Amino acid sequence: MNLTMVVNGSSHELDVAPHSLLLDVLRDSLDLKGAKRSCDTQVCGACTVLVDGQAVSACTYLAVEADGCSLLTVEGLADGEALDPLQRAFLDAGAVQCGFCTSGMLLTARALLRENAAPSREDILHYLRGSLCRCTGYRKIVEAIMTAARTTR
Amino acid sequence: MSARPLRVVGRPVPRVDGLEKVTGRARYVTDLVLPGMAHARVMRSPYAHARVRRVDVTRARALTGVLAALSGAELTWCEPYYGPAYRDRPVLAIDVARYEGEPVAAVAAVDEATADAALDLIEVDYEPLPPVITLEEALAAGAPLVHTGKPQAGIFADLSTLRPEPGTNICHQFHFARGDSAGALASADLVLDDTYRFPPVQHYAMEPHAAVAVWSETDGLTIWASSQNPYSVRVELAKMFDVPLARIRVVVPHLGGGFGSKTYAKLEPLAAALARAAGRPVRLAASVAEAFQTVRRCAARVHVRVGFRRDGLLVAVECDADYDVGAYADIGPRVVQKATYTATGPYRVPHVELAARAVYTNTTPGGAFRGFGVPQLAWALESLVDAAADRLGRDPVELRRQNFLAHGEEFAPGDTPIDGKLEESLSRAAEAIGWTRASAADRGRGVAAMLKASVAPSVSEAIVRLHTDGSVSVLASAVEMGQGTRTVLAQIAAEVLCVPLARVTVVQPDTAVTPYDQTTSSSRSTTMTGRAVQVASEDVREQLLRITAEALGVATRDLTLDEGAVVAPARRLPYAEVLLLRFGMSGGELIGRGVIAPGRTAAPLGGSTPFWEMAVGAAEVSVDEETGAVRVERYVSVADVGRAVNPLLLEGQDEGGVVQGLGHTLLEEMLYADGHLLNGTLLLYRVPRADDAPPALECHFVENADGSGPFGAKGAGEGSLIPVSPAVANALARLTGVRLRDLPLTPERVWRALRARR
Amino acid sequence: MLRPFTLHRPETAEDACALLATLGEDAAPYAGGTELLLLMKLGLLRPPHLVDVKRIAGFGDIADGTRLTIGATVTHRTLERSPLVRARCPLVASVARHVANVRVRNVGTVGGNLAFADPHSDLATLFLTLDATVELVSPRGRRELSLAEFVRGPWETARRPDELLASVRLSPWPTGTGAAYVKFGVHERPTLGIAVALRLDGAGERARVADARVAIGCVSPRPMRVEAAEARVNGVAEAELGDVTGAMADAAAESVDPADDLHGSAEYKREMVAVFVRRALRVAVARARGAELSASFPHAVVA
Repeated sequence: MNLTMVVNGSSHELDVAPHSLLLDVLRDSLDLKGAKRSCDTQVCGACTVLVDGQAVSACTYLAVEADGCSLLTVEGLADGEALDPLQRAFLDAGAVQCGFCTSGMLLTARALLRENAAPSREDILHYLRGSLCRCTGYRKIVEAIMTAARTTR
Repeated sequence: MSARPLRVVGRPVPRVDGLEKVTGRARYVTDLVLPGMAHARVMRSPYAHARVRRVDVTRARALTGVLAALSGAELTWCEPYYGPAYRDRPVLAIDVARYEGEPVAAVAAVDEATADAALDLIEVDYEPLPPVITLEEALAAGAPLVHTGKPQAGIFADLSTLRPEPGTNICHQFHFARGDSAGALASADLVLDDTYRFPPVQHYAMEPHAAVAVWSETDGLTIWASSQNPYSVRVELAKMFDVPLARIRVVVPHLGGGFGSKTYAKLEPLAAALARAAGRPVRLAASVAEAFQTVRRCAARVHVRVGFRRDGLLVAVECDADYDVGAYADIGPRVVQKATYTATGPYRVPHVELAARAVYTNTTPGGAFRGFGVPQLAWALESLVDAAADRLGRDPVELRRQNFLAHGEEFAPGDTPIDGKLEESLSRAAEAIGWTRASAADRGRGVAAMLKASVAPSVSEAIVRLHTDGSVSVLASAVEMGQGTRTVLAQIAAEVLCVPLARVTVVQPDTAVTPYDQTTSSSRSTTMTGRAVQVASEDVREQLLRITAEALGVATRDLTLDEGAVVAPARRLPYAEVLLLRFGMSGGELIGRGVIAPGRTAAPLGGSTPFWEMAVGAAEVSVDEETGAVRVERYVSVADVGRAVNPLLLEGQDEGGVVQGLGHTLLEEMLYADGHLLNGTLLLYRVPRADDAPPALECHFVENADGSGPFGAKGAGEGSLIPVSPAVANALARLTGVRLRDLPLTPERVWRALRARR
Repeated sequence: MLRPFTLHRPETAEDACALLATLGEDAAPYAGGTELLLLMKLGLLRPPHLVDVKRIAGFGDIADGTRLTIGATVTHRTLERSPLVRARCPLVASVARHVANVRVRNVGTVGGNLAFADPHSDLATLFLTLDATVELVSPRGRRELSLAEFVRGPWETARRPDELLASVRLSPWPTGTGAAYVKFGVHERPTLGIAVALRLDGAGERARVADARVAIGCVSPRPMRVEAAEARVNGVAEAELGDVTGAMADAAAESVDPADDLHGSAEYKREMVAVFVRRALRVAVARARGAELSASFPHAVVA
């Protein structure tokens, strides 16, 4: 099936099978390896990408659903060399350890801040229900998101 | 050593690999693509225990696009068994499948879909056998045996005296005694005797195991592996495929978490075998469900007797621990022996008798997991210390303080004396949690302490190269898996060589390039690899000083390093100029070498621990009395780290350790029924989420620069996890009067205990 | 990874039903895919044809009327944020906010949730207190079933192979109704879900409970209304509620049919039903009075 999507601002036309998962298309066809496959059951959030601004689990999402959509992956977060405030805040707060959850965390936080520019700690915890990290104690991630929210406002 | 203040060490600098990670550019093994790379899939046993009568891969092999299809019986062209303690684990099941999920056959094909389709064409005849799933079943008289043959010993010197008990499922026994524990218990004023259980839990490193292997005539085997110890993987592969060590290259790119799950060979042997058979690069990437079928923490049943004098003096400890190591020993026997050796925890105990068994069961193999067997024992001992305090009418903090080993005190003859101040950690933790202040009526507080030895003897080597532009390459094989070792090693080299951190590059582990390092585990990297990098950096520094001294005709003692230059009384020579003096041209480099190899000692386990890891945890909990749900409202961890080389990253490590500890304390347990794992996916196996972390979580560090690592540092990262369970359970006991002995403290378990109290 | 299948994207319900009729068991209706694709990845389902129902006109709509009609392909997220839903059935919006996680809510649909009949569905339990009916379309026409008739058991519904779930219709509670949905459990999916709704008729001391509705999910093969519990509080004066709460909770606990599983023993679940019915009742009564209790319980969500 033909698929047209804008990924991180660049338009792509692809021929994909109906059963192709968005995660595989991004990783294998577009070489965007930032989204990771971990739990593969929509629980962990490592494969999170934004489709028209909405966070989805790319591991359980047909690529053809993204036809005509605008996608954001972690590779598109920074504006050239200029990091997104979330990326900066994650680095400074020590919210990154092994990095395997990081791209999903960043995109989830990006979606949250788009909906809610000034989230409370509870808002963040609620939004992160589907975002697992096994390295940090989450505290630094929450802190980084709050810092980024303040920086962005 | 100069006395000038530290420039980089001790500072909370952001991690050196952070930018790559926040931009998604960091490449993990699963992200690698090689030209012509084939994709592997594994067929796994649906039975916990079965005779494998026949595996027919003929039809799979004939499928278009299939490049290799293997069964265990066909692996006659290599040594099919591996394992660090015993060589008891076949690459693919041979004759018998010993746990549900054991690899039975495997294929490599041009793409994943073809490999998947090929699996459907494999025929296997199983004859189900009765399994043993629990310790009780495995230890029962006449229990079915998981292994019947006599396995070969693996690679560990301190396991040269493996003691299996033939005709049983006991694959190793350990015994350690001093004094007269029976006599001491007989005359003790208070003896407590109890049994505690620790569940099998899954590491859930978010990146599941993966390997990409390729063979070539000239280079032998190159394998990109998600491994915490590439050198241990190398030696396994060399034995299996009868290839010189020099022709096995294990490369570790970014690692998506380890926690022990990626120590020792896991998928690498199978990936290598498939690549050999396929004649192509082969990628074998496990799913998380397959990670559940690869390794887990050893479950344990721990029977402890403690004897106290009326005045609170701890006089004796007897411990009898059974560890469930699953279907293959992996490093289980070593987990059992290392942990049991320190079963007395951070206390001075004159009379000791410690025994442990590693027991095979028909479940996922148990291996290393953050804490290496100690969390299981600390769960029991630290609970009992609180129970004793209760019985003796003593404050649990004071009772611990009374019995703590002192700084410099001998732990066991021949082993390293205690190198930290437990009482300082305890005081800091007690103060931070507000121990002496009354807690709210619906809150309870508890503390627990830990002591753990690191692996010994062990070896770390490092090479530091100073280039003509004054930049530095650090070659070391400690694996960055999120804990921050790459940043810490860079800080150490930058400190010694007086260069900006940005001028230092720590090369990713590659056994063809970076020198030997035993393992990235046991909290050892900062101390051991860090020391090796420090020594190698000092080697370079000495060369810089010597070259400059000779060229300028001054004494080296009159020279110092400062911001990338050698400073002489009247001159300042940037490193580039020093190298120009040495080589007479713009080329060449100074190479420094660091080897840290304490060797064998008279210590009971044959090597003296390079440092003692010690930490204290304090928890404040509430409980929903009607549901049994426990909430950890506040948690304080204090670790004695000697010196925090990078406080930011260390804090991240310890916060993560606490929350991971809360996982097995409150939530996590691999559950089996009828031989089947019931919750082998994240849908059903619950790990802590952001909202499970204590609303108030503090990690503190005691820094007396008394460690044997660089600048007085010592290991950390496991310590924060270990006290969590007993600290939480002790808090719960002080709040409710109910003491639980089985983890995790699920709402239902707590509810039952509360109900029984009424 | 998924096995190959053919994806059909009909634009009318008629075409979709015709496809389902022709393909029979080889076809599965597909909307968000959060359940279906998951089961397909796990190898538990392998339909060679998927019939995407998201392009069918009207399936994504929310329509007001005497009853609130929610199209089958409305996502949880839309439900959560729809001004119409928030105005007419505010508890539905707040329960939707707590379904799974934000990614599942962005993609997963109301129709998919109900049609899968996962016994751990939050919406199905809540909808029972809203006298929900589902509209099924097929080549033979349309029929409407109560949700209780539709959900037959775990992963089992009254939907025939050629039928499509088109919408669910809710009867919003009358003004003055106080309601709460409470779920509890440590696992990814709830161990227990309880919905309580009621009105207080009359003022002050004389106020009496009317039109009480209690539904319980997750602890029986399918979510259920518990008339026995409702009967214990209906007509009871607010001041006397404390006296009957225990009996009501016990009636609820007796009416469920729990099994021992990963979520806990049947005994524990039964006891938790009693605990959380009491708690949900307290919150609902307070809300009926226009007050909000600050109720927070570990491992529980109060919506």
